[in-house]
Amino acid sequence: MKLTLKLLALGGLLAITAAGSTAALAVDKDQVIKDRQALMKQQGGDMGGVKGFLDDKNDQATATAKATDLVDAIKKIPSVFPPDSGGPNPDGKYTAKPEIWSDAKGFSAAVDTATEKATALLAAVKGGDKTAIQTAFSDMGKNGCGGCHEKFREEIKK
Amino acid sequence: MSAAPGTCRAADSAAVARGAYLAAAAGCDQCHTDGKNAGAAYAGGRVMDTEFGAIVTPNITPDRATGIGGWSEADFIRAMRWGIAPDGTHYVTAFPFPYFAGLTDSDLADLKAYLDSLAPVSNSKSAGAASLALFARARAAIGAAIAANIAPSSPPSKDDKIVRGSYLTATVGHCGDCHTPLTWLGAPDVDRYLAGSHGGFEGRRAPNITPDEKTGIGSWSEDDIASLLKDGGTPDGDFVGGSMAEIVRNTTRLTDDDRRAIAAYLKTLPPKVFTKNN
Repeated sequence: MKLTLKLLALGGLLAITAAGSTAALAVDKDQVIKDRQALMKQQGGDMGGVKGFLDDKNDQATATAKATDLVDAIKKIPSVFPPDSGGPNPDGKYTAKPEIWSDAKGFSAAVDTATEKATALLAAVKGGDKTAIQTAFSDMGKNGCGGCHEKFREEIKK
Repeated sequence: MSAAPGTCRAADSAAVARGAYLAAAAGCDQCHTDGKNAGAAYAGGRVMDTEFGAIVTPNITPDRATGIGGWSEADFIRAMRWGIAPDGTHYVTAFPFPYFAGLTDSDLADLKAYLDSLAPVSNSKSAGAASLALFARARAAIGAAIAANIAPSSPPSKDDKIVRGSYLTATVGHCGDCHTPLTWLGAPDVDRYLAGSHGGFEGRRAPNITPDEKTGIGSWSEDDIASLLKDGGTPDGDFVGGSMAEIVRNTTRLTDDDRRAIAAYLKTLPPKVFTKNN
């Protein structure tokens, strides 16, 4: 009888500890996902800033600032995908695929590609030739942003 | 340019060029290339996950043993329009021949001229289905027999741009293959043409591309649509991924005019609502 009580108490303690640690992880994960969403939106805004220059809506100085920010933002991508942080974004539209972690080499390569294309885009923006900027912009959109989204992001089925 | 073995005439380089453009627009190389394993373009071997089971795409280079070398124009037309192989067997609609049925005679001839101009590649990976879900096959056959149209028939537009956009969307681009939901019989639901699907290509969700304001692309301008087709960008700064990234690799090869034609056409569609039943 005493042994059973001890076991029950131990079980209870373990359960509480486990629940506690899960709760702690859940808070962190939510924040990571929020940060991730914010970083992605920031990059979207940067691309929008470059497009604005192509569409004659803003000037080269603005486009240069945005393109510079884009290169910096991409460097932060690995930091918003720590292990065990898969899950849907706050909009509930997309989810990070498990391949991000199971194919870490592939994910890293996709980040490298995005870095490369964003760097090329910045150079083009600084050069000022709109044809060259358009080419670099499309390349970044399709193969930098799109290349990663194609393999590592999934729409959530409703 | 020397004549390919088995043909009586030299390839018409203008036809080959037009065919190359069509192949890019239709994205033939996307399905018919084993991209995962760095396979040769158009040599087939890509494994598609379909409702019929896993299907391996065929080799459409002019290799005589493993490709479509030696096919006559009639063979090619029959395959593209009716889904019937030269040996009389039927393709399942994983190959979107109901859409290609609308291709013009001259476009089919140009497409064949282009494929015939490719270097023959031998690909011994056997094409076809490893296992076919019999029920899915029967269902599709019944559905295809009943369904007369895959796009709503409407009086031909007087605007050449819209006519071109319609051809590129409904036929060449076979956009409905993903973006039109299916009826319970497995045929495209014409009443919800391009209204989005919960289980389109390889089971993935395809959005509503009719001009519904809330659930479709009603708030998008023609420029927004043409932009997406060029580089995958959306008006809110996103860039498409998933299956659409692959499609952008086709549409990026179109001319600006053709992308704008598609955009203009999409804006003329009746707006449909994307519901959980799509």
